[in-house]
Amino acid sequence: MSLPLRVCVVVFGSLVAAGQVQAGPVSGKLDLPKELPPREPAVTKGFLDRVENPLATPRPVAVTPQMVVVLEQAEGAQKGSAPGQVLWELVGESFSRPVMIAAVGSEVVIKNVSKTARTLVALEDDKLVPSGPINPTGPKSFRVAEAKVYTIADKDAAHLRGTLVTVTSPFVATVDDAGRFELADVPEGNYKLRIFYKTGWLDGATDVVVAAKGKTEVNPKVPALTAPQKK
Amino acid sequence: MFFSKIWFFLIALAAAVALAVALLMPRPAARAHVDNEKQRLVVACTVIDILLGDDARNRVDLASAFASKLEIVTALDAASGAASIDEARMKQVRSVGAAVMEEMKGKRKPDFAVLIDRRGRVVARVALDENDFGDVAAGRPLVDDALAGYLRDDLWAHNGTLYLVTAAPVVKRETQAYAGAIILGHQVTNALAQRLVKSLDVDVGFYLGKDEVAGSKTLAVEATPLVDAIKRIGGGEINQDCLANKPIPITSGKDSYTALVARLPGEVSTRQAYYSVFIKRPAALGFAGTLDAVEQADLAPGSFPWILVGAGFVVMLGVGIALMFMESDRPLRRLTAEAVRLAKGETERLSEDAHPGKFGSIARSVNIHIDKLGREAKSAKKDMDQLLGPSPEGSLGTIDLLATALPAVRPGGSAPASSPPPSEFKFTNPATQPGLAAPPPRPTPSPRPGTPPPVAPARSAAPPPPPLGLPTPPQSFASAAPAAPALNLDDDILGGGGDAPELAEEAAGDDYFGQVFEQFVAMKKSCGEPTSGLTVEKFTEKLIRNRDDLMAKTGCRDVKFTVYVKDGKAALKATPVKDD
Repeated sequence: MSLPLRVCVVVFGSLVAAGQVQAGPVSGKLDLPKELPPREPAVTKGFLDRVENPLATPRPVAVTPQMVVVLEQAEGAQKGSAPGQVLWELVGESFSRPVMIAAVGSEVVIKNVSKTARTLVALEDDKLVPSGPINPTGPKSFRVAEAKVYTIADKDAAHLRGTLVTVTSPFVATVDDAGRFELADVPEGNYKLRIFYKTGWLDGATDVVVAAKGKTEVNPKVPALTAPQKK
Repeated sequence: MFFSKIWFFLIALAAAVALAVALLMPRPAARAHVDNEKQRLVVACTVIDILLGDDARNRVDLASAFASKLEIVTALDAASGAASIDEARMKQVRSVGAAVMEEMKGKRKPDFAVLIDRRGRVVARVALDENDFGDVAAGRPLVDDALAGYLRDDLWAHNGTLYLVTAAPVVKRETQAYAGAIILGHQVTNALAQRLVKSLDVDVGFYLGKDEVAGSKTLAVEATPLVDAIKRIGGGEINQDCLANKPIPITSGKDSYTALVARLPGEVSTRQAYYSVFIKRPAALGFAGTLDAVEQADLAPGSFPWILVGAGFVVMLGVGIALMFMESDRPLRRLTAEAVRLAKGETERLSEDAHPGKFGSIARSVNIHIDKLGREAKSAKKDMDQLLGPSPEGSLGTIDLLATALPAVRPGGSAPASSPPPSEFKFTNPATQPGLAAPPPRPTPSPRPGTPPPVAPARSAAPPPPPLGLPTPPQSFASAAPAAPALNLDDDILGGGGDAPELAEEAAGDDYFGQVFEQFVAMKKSCGEPTSGLTVEKFTEKLIRNRDDLMAKTGCRDVKFTVYVKDGKAALKATPVKDD
């Protein structure tokens, strides 16, 4: 689909949605557990095991970059428009976020802002990411057709991996370092907020009622982050 | 000879066993040698792993010291607060890093350093890709761990070069806050490889797949077997590779090596990074190899049982000589002596029982032949008797000898005691035999040696004594013919059946036959026989024909005729003369 046509579709969808129901932002902050998971063993090790430095205690595991949230529409709720594009940056030896979420049908654009060309592939579907290297500053885009968890990796760099979560709901958001998130233009209705952490969905969901007007605040409690199960 | 054969068998058996032992003995030694070499490889591989671990520990300490430098902490703390990294900051931080690296002279100076801020951004690189900055290094396990506050090491591959890298967090002492991390890299070089194996008497090579990155010795090793060995390893703990893997044979040109591969840990493990320990494969020992490996000291009297070997040799030689003497030399000497005695006539037969084994067989064979000769002589005697009649006693020594009886017992048995066996026949020289004289040449005019004098008349039927002066036939077989025809002259001579005129002419001119005629006539007269019609020509013709027949049959040179009385009548006996 050409860019002008894509723009037309997005604009048309937004107008239709705006004309039918009112929408507002949903924001909040994850109530993280006090006890964070321990740092996982090193993926690779040299001749020695890693040792803590003698000057300061090691930094806690940053869990929020590995979290994404989704508002799933409850029965009878109106469907919103799908986000048009998801940008995921490749910043060097890693992605800008280790976990990214996108709605089914949206376009995922991976942009290489590093100085090294990469050849990425989805381990679960090698046809998902167009073949060929992503040169520095160059993008690689694709659309996701089904709700699934993909692992995007570079076979030449075992450490370079990212998790792409695709869901049917268009209301998805990432989480910042402090645990805050925001979903814009959520139509009025009843929703369930679910949290994806690292490799799978956390147990439980938070009910969210989006009013016709105003900002909806929700602070879901995050269960203990131990060995999340892939669902 | 029985015991000699047994001894020879034992010697041959001992030699075969000794040869088999000599060929077999090197094999266990070779196996042990190969096992030792493999064990040496395992030990060397393990030691190299330990040395690399120690080296990693030293490098971690170095990184920790590097990261604790105040100027480093200050520079990275400042960079972490900046929204972006610009070139000016990069150069400032790089100069700080380069200065700190310079201070590390005397220690193991790193080949590069990377300074990373708290966000994981590369603020500056020193000595490697110095103009690259601002990219995010976070994501690599080593960097993530360092940013999280851990000290650790890793192995990276960059542009076909293998680096031993270490990282340390940069911490502000005052606040115990993290300001970033530093990475130090040490290239894997030939010098490092040589240092690792300096005291191990092995060689080591570091590889990325089929490419050799560095090595203690420049060897064009065929890398495919090494890679295959790495692929075969599969999972398992990397630090157990030296113990778990099996040495493999590889070649480098004409040289053969035994190699043991072990994976390298860290990031490079996914790129088939490994090191291999080599030793030159020992030449197959074998029998010749063992002999080649013998040193002069091995043969020294103190370390080799020369006395035992010499004593064994002397014993074996002595027993062999003794058996040879007892079973071969001595019996042969005894048989030889007896054969000489037999030849001299001191004995008539070989003593068969006195000689053991094959020598007895030889004696029996000789005795059998003697017996055979005796039988043939007796048969010849019978034939001569049939031809010539019994010879007058004492006239023909040869006939007398042949008239002896055959032995009663046959082959191998003892000779009869009563009558001498045919084997007692003795070769005699007629010239030395008393009473024997060579027959006179024919024709020889009278007087000639052996011319028979007038024969005295015979008395009654007793055989007359040989005529005096009449030549007697030789006694030996060499000079005597095997058969001598007895002539019946009455019908031919008295009957007057003469024929060939040439014979008559020869007879007319031969005095010898005339003398024999006169003796014959005188003998007939003395026996009272008529002599009318008896003419010298026919008599001579008859003798000549008889002589010629006898010469043709026996191949003798001449024939001697003797007159004697047989059954009261005059008779004539022909005796062949073979040689002088």
